[in-house]
Amino acid sequence: MVGKGKFWSVLFITIMLILSGCSGSAVSNSKSNSSGEKDTIKIGVILSSTGTFAPLAESIKNGFNLYLEENDNKLGGKKVEIKFEDDEANPQVALRKYRQLVKNEKVDILVGPISSAVAYALRDEVEKDKIILIDANAAGNDLSWSKKSDYIYRLSFSNWQNGSSAGEYLAKNVGKTAVAIAPDYPAGKEVVSAFKEAFEAAGGKVVKEIYPKLGTNDFATYLTDVAQVKPELVFTFMAGSDGIRFVQQYNDFGLKGKIPLSGPMEFGDQLILEPTGEAAEGIISGILYSPWLENEENKKFVEAYQEKYGKLPNTFSVGGYDSAKVIDIAIKEAGSTNAEDLIKVLKGISFDSPRGPITIDPKTNNPIQNFYIAKNTKKDNQIVPEVLETVEKVTMPEKAPAN
Amino acid sequence: MSLSIFSVQLLTGLAYGMLYFMIAAGLTIILGVMNIVNLAHGTLFLLGSYMAFTFMNQQFSFWIALLLSVAVTAVIGIIIEKLFIRQIYGKELEQVLLTFGLAFVIADTAKWIWGTEPQTMAVPALLDSSISIGPMVFPFYRLFVVLIGCLLALLLWYFESKTRIGAIIRAGVDDRAMVSALGINVGVVFTGVFAFGAGLAALSGVLGGPLIGMYTGMESDILVTSLIVVVIGGLGSWKGSFIGAILIGLIETFGKIWFPSLSMLIVFLLMVVVLIIRPQGLFGREVA
Repeated sequence: MVGKGKFWSVLFITIMLILSGCSGSAVSNSKSNSSGEKDTIKIGVILSSTGTFAPLAESIKNGFNLYLEENDNKLGGKKVEIKFEDDEANPQVALRKYRQLVKNEKVDILVGPISSAVAYALRDEVEKDKIILIDANAAGNDLSWSKKSDYIYRLSFSNWQNGSSAGEYLAKNVGKTAVAIAPDYPAGKEVVSAFKEAFEAAGGKVVKEIYPKLGTNDFATYLTDVAQVKPELVFTFMAGSDGIRFVQQYNDFGLKGKIPLSGPMEFGDQLILEPTGEAAEGIISGILYSPWLENEENKKFVEAYQEKYGKLPNTFSVGGYDSAKVIDIAIKEAGSTNAEDLIKVLKGISFDSPRGPITIDPKTNNPIQNFYIAKNTKKDNQIVPEVLETVEKVTMPEKAPAN
Repeated sequence: MSLSIFSVQLLTGLAYGMLYFMIAAGLTIILGVMNIVNLAHGTLFLLGSYMAFTFMNQQFSFWIALLLSVAVTAVIGIIIEKLFIRQIYGKELEQVLLTFGLAFVIADTAKWIWGTEPQTMAVPALLDSSISIGPMVFPFYRLFVVLIGCLLALLLWYFESKTRIGAIIRAGVDDRAMVSALGINVGVVFTGVFAFGAGLAALSGVLGGPLIGMYTGMESDILVTSLIVVVIGGLGSWKGSFIGAILIGLIETFGKIWFPSLSMLIVFLLMVVVLIIRPQGLFGREVA
C-alpha cells in the first residue's frame, strides 16, 4: 500500500526541483594562478551548458578553445585566463554568474550568452560596469536596435538576418505562397516576421503562420494543417531537437517531395543534418556557414576542428572561434584591454572568418556577412548543403522596420 | 474537422499515449509493489534509447538493438536495486534523495558518453511506410507503437491474473509480511519487478527514439509526464496508467488543435480535476 502523504511530498519536491531547473552542474575550469600582471587577460564565458542549448554551448566552447590553442593560449599577445560559467538559460542565474565573474573574478572581457533573454538581462549590467561583451550567439534583434549598447558586439547573426536571407530567393524561384512555422517564443516571431517582410517584398504571400509551443514533441497536427492549406512552400524555423523532429516528421507524414520545405540557417546546419540524414534532403535554407564553404580560412578551420574534436564544425563553432578571433584582433589594434579603447576598434572591425569576410556594422554592432542559399543534397552518402546562390553582405537595417 | 484529420490526430494521440503507458507502467508497478517512487526512471528511458542508438550505429538492426538495450537496461536495474535501493527499503526520504541523485549521475554519464547534440533514430525499414487516410497519410510506425502498447497491456493483464508470479506480486502489494511468512523470497521478487520496470522504460525509450529523438533534458520531461500519468491512473495500478496515458496522449494532441498555447496546462488541469473527483486516481484503491 502506498502512503498518500509520502507520495505527495515526493511528487511535490520532484516537480519543484525539475521546474526550477535545479540542474546545478557548474562547468568552471579555471586555469590556475591568477596574477595581477598586465600580460594576462581574464575572459569570462557565460553559456547555457545545461538543457536544450547544451549542444550550442559545447560548439561555441569548442570553437573558442580551438582558436586559443592555435594561438598558444594568447589573445592580443596576452596570456588568457578563461572561466566558463553555465547560466542554465535563465536570466536570474546569468546575473548571479555575471556578478561572480565581474566582481569576484574581475574578468576583463565577457563572452556569451546563448539566450537572448540572458543577453537582454546582462545588457544594463555591462553598460554600468563598462565591460565589453562579445555576443557569440544571442540573436535577438533588439540588441542591434532599441537595446543596442556600445559595450556589446555580436559575432553570430541576428534573427532578422537569419529570417530574411532566403525570402527573396524563395519567392522568385520556389513558390509564391508559404506557410510559416516557428516556435512560440520571441526568436520564432522575429525570424518569421523578417522572412515575411523579405518574401512579400519579392512578391510572395505568407498565407498562414503557425506557432507551436517550444519543445513540441509532435508536429502531426501542424503538418496535417499544412497538407490542407497546400501552400507552394513551407518555411520553418526550428532549432535543436525540435528541428530534428520536424524534418523527420515532414518526411514521415509524406509532405517531403510534395511541398518544398525551406528555412533559415538551422536547416542547413550540421546539428540538424547529421542526425536527420536523408530526411533533410532537398530542404532549401539560408545559411551563413557550412564546412564545405570554399575559402582558405575555412579549409584550415575545418581541418583543425576535425583533428581536435573528431567531428565537423557547425555554425555555432564558428561563432565561438570568431569570438576569440575578434578579441585577439581588437586588443592588437587597440594596444590595450581597456573597454573604451576596444570600443573604438570594435566598431567597424573587419576580418576573414571561416564563413567568409565579416565586418561589424557600427550602426547595429552586428556583423555584415554573406548568406548562402543552399539546398541539402546527397553526396558520397552524406547530406551536404550545396550552395545555389550567394546573398552578398546581408546588413541589418539601422532601425526596426515599421509595420 | 474532417474525419481523416480526426483519425490522424486520434492515432497520433494514441501512439504517444502508448509510449507514456510503457514508461508509466514500470514506474507504477515499482511504486505499487516496492513502495518506491523511482525518480531515476526517466534516465532509464534515456539510457534505453541512447544505447539502441549506439547499437544501431554498430550496424545492428533496429530489432536486435531494441532487445539488447532492453536487456542491458534491465541488468542495470538489477544492479541499482541490489546495490542501492535494497539498503533503504521503507526509508522514504532516503529513497527520494537516492533515486533523484541517481537520476543526475546517470543523466550526466549519458551526456559524457553521447555528448549534448540531439540525436534521432531511423524508423526500421520494415515499418518505414505510411498508410493513406483519406487525403492524409499516416506513418505506419506509429500504428506499430500503438499495437505494441496494446500487446503490453494484454501481457500485463495475463501476467497479473493468470500466473503464479502475478499472484505473488498482488499478494505482496497487499501484505508483504504475510507473503514472506509463506516462504516466498520477497527480495527476489523485488529485484525482478525493478528489472522489469527498467526494461519497460528502455522499451519505451527505444520505440520513442524515431518519434521523440534523444536530447539532454528529455529524462525530466518524460518523468514529469509519467508521474502525472501515474497520479491520474491511481498509484500502483497499471490499468490506471493505461487509461491515464491514453488520456494524456489524446489531450496533448487535441489540445494542440483547439487550444494551441495551453496544451500542457490542460494536462495539469486534467490531473487537478481527477484528483478533486477521485483523489486516489482513476483506478487507485482507497487508502487509509
